[in-house]
Amino acid sequence: MAVSAGVRSSVGLTLRLSRVIPDCSTCPFNRLNSYLNGIASSSNVDRFRTSNRHLQTSKGLYHSEAGASAEDPQEEVVNVVYIDRSGQRIPVKAKVGDNAMYLAHRHNIELEGACEASLACSTCHVYVNRDHVDKLPEPDEREDDMLDMAPALQENSRLGCQIILTQELEGIELTLPKVTRNFYVDGHVPKPH
Amino acid sequence: MMRKTVTTKLLGSMRGFPSHRVNYAVNAVARELIKSRELENDELRPLYMDFQATTPMDPRVLDAMLPYQVNYYGNPHSRTHAYGWESESAMEKARKQVADLIAADPREIVFTSGATESNNMSIKGVARFYKSKKKHVITTQTEHKCVLDSCRVLEAEGFDITYLPVKTNGLVDLQLLEETIRQDTSLVSVMTVNNEIGVRQPVEDIGRICRSRNVFFHTDAAQAVGKIPINVSDWKVDLMSISGHKIYGPKGVGALYVRRRPRVRMEPLQNGGGQERGLRSGTVPTPLAVGLGAACDIAQQELEYDHSRVSMLANRLVRKIMSEIPDVVMNGDPEQRYPGCINLSFAYVEGESLLMALKDVALSSGSACTSASLEPSYVLRAIGTDEDLAHSSIRFGIGRFSTEAEVDYTADKCIQQVKRLREMSPLWEMVQEGIDLKSIKWTQH
Repeated sequence: MAVSAGVRSSVGLTLRLSRVIPDCSTCPFNRLNSYLNGIASSSNVDRFRTSNRHLQTSKGLYHSEAGASAEDPQEEVVNVVYIDRSGQRIPVKAKVGDNAMYLAHRHNIELEGACEASLACSTCHVYVNRDHVDKLPEPDEREDDMLDMAPALQENSRLGCQIILTQELEGIELTLPKVTRNFYVDGHVPKPH
Repeated sequence: MMRKTVTTKLLGSMRGFPSHRVNYAVNAVARELIKSRELENDELRPLYMDFQATTPMDPRVLDAMLPYQVNYYGNPHSRTHAYGWESESAMEKARKQVADLIAADPREIVFTSGATESNNMSIKGVARFYKSKKKHVITTQTEHKCVLDSCRVLEAEGFDITYLPVKTNGLVDLQLLEETIRQDTSLVSVMTVNNEIGVRQPVEDIGRICRSRNVFFHTDAAQAVGKIPINVSDWKVDLMSISGHKIYGPKGVGALYVRRRPRVRMEPLQNGGGQERGLRSGTVPTPLAVGLGAACDIAQQELEYDHSRVSMLANRLVRKIMSEIPDVVMNGDPEQRYPGCINLSFAYVEGESLLMALKDVALSSGSACTSASLEPSYVLRAIGTDEDLAHSSIRFGIGRFSTEAEVDYTADKCIQQVKRLREMSPLWEMVQEGIDLKSIKWTQH
């Protein structure tokens, strides 16, 4: 947090010194901020996905690593249950705005994410439980195209990297399918990038 | 002459046999070899009047395919080199050509091995995908064998299939269709143009009904594509099967149109590396796909002209036959049809004997896929044809390459042979005397 604030202020200082008119549209921080603001105002404009976790300055990362602490307002916590390939139920506490795929990675659940949430593969394919599948927004055409390629597709299939958790999705259960498009029949699961 | 030397060599050394025996053996082998070819005295090939069974490849299609058979032989899914890229671009160009013919988006076309595979994929695939909530499929009794067989397989898996009866003119009763659709219906499959009697179903109305009830609509358009104008959005069709060898394209290739908005999901029948949107894995045969694309392109250009020409020839044939001989019935609706497929029943004449009599015209009595079975066509039974009339029916197919002379010859020959066969028929004699055939009690000998 402090680091990000420092970076932001130093960038601002440089811009002020050089009298450059800031072109906020290209800076990743701007897109992240507008995305976070977007979530708060629940608009769908410019859904930016952080492709490199090291740059992620969202509050979500910091707080979910520490787990839900007493100082967090209760409204921000979303309970998610992952059901992994062996059938084991793994309850996870998440924050509003978390990405279901990265959440799984942080909790060492074997959800693959080959293209790192850039809508270019189908490896983060999950089944959403019936109660919550209709609460998710309609899939983008590109998401549908990638879902077409996923094996063992069902009516309640979605891409995990496109599921952004909200308060409405409290109690959502995400089941991992038995196989992904990376066919490893020897049981190998690639590590998250 | 050469045949004789070849067969003599094939027989190896026939030493120690008398020469007349060797000659006999040589001739026997020669006859075996030539059984599949033309007859020895250079008899002409029969006139081809069976365009519903298959069509000759348009020479322009062959021209388009040949480079991809000989020179540009790369696998279109090879991402890393020019052989792959050029094959892929040819395949995508073909996809666009197919899509343009039916007013679809190229991304909605999946190349398959033919309309049979497309039909299997759509019916089994859609039904199985939605089987957790929807267990009912509707089709008609006049569908192609592959549709009916797929539905039978689904029945064995526990689905509920309704085979809708058709009216005596071959068309689906829309009222009955609306009443049959249930809450758990996932798919309705009705073919656009029937391959045996040529009737054109009211697909626009069926599409409208299905869309309003949220049911997927599949149509087997193998006989309709490239012959009548098709617009999948106007027709509200979700799945459409296309066959290559019915539109003057190559055999062994077809396509399936799968709607993207609203998305149709299906369980793939053929699994593998995820080609063709995961719906039909396997290397797309570039030459065949290019051929299909070229055939569709040509069909789009020639559609109007072909249609008017085929209509003219069909009218000529039917009018000629029906004016010269009585007791001829045209099966199927006279208005709602594709003109190039004419199914006529000649009363008091046996169909097979008429076909044999017309041996220098290639015709069929019912669809090719059922021609080996001895039962009369189920399509004719479905439209309520009497069994005797069903046995006497012949299907005349007229296409792009039919000529007026061929049609005239066929009509004349047909009239002549029907008259001759009727002369020999005791039933005809009885009818001429005024006896009502239905009142006769046939006894066993």
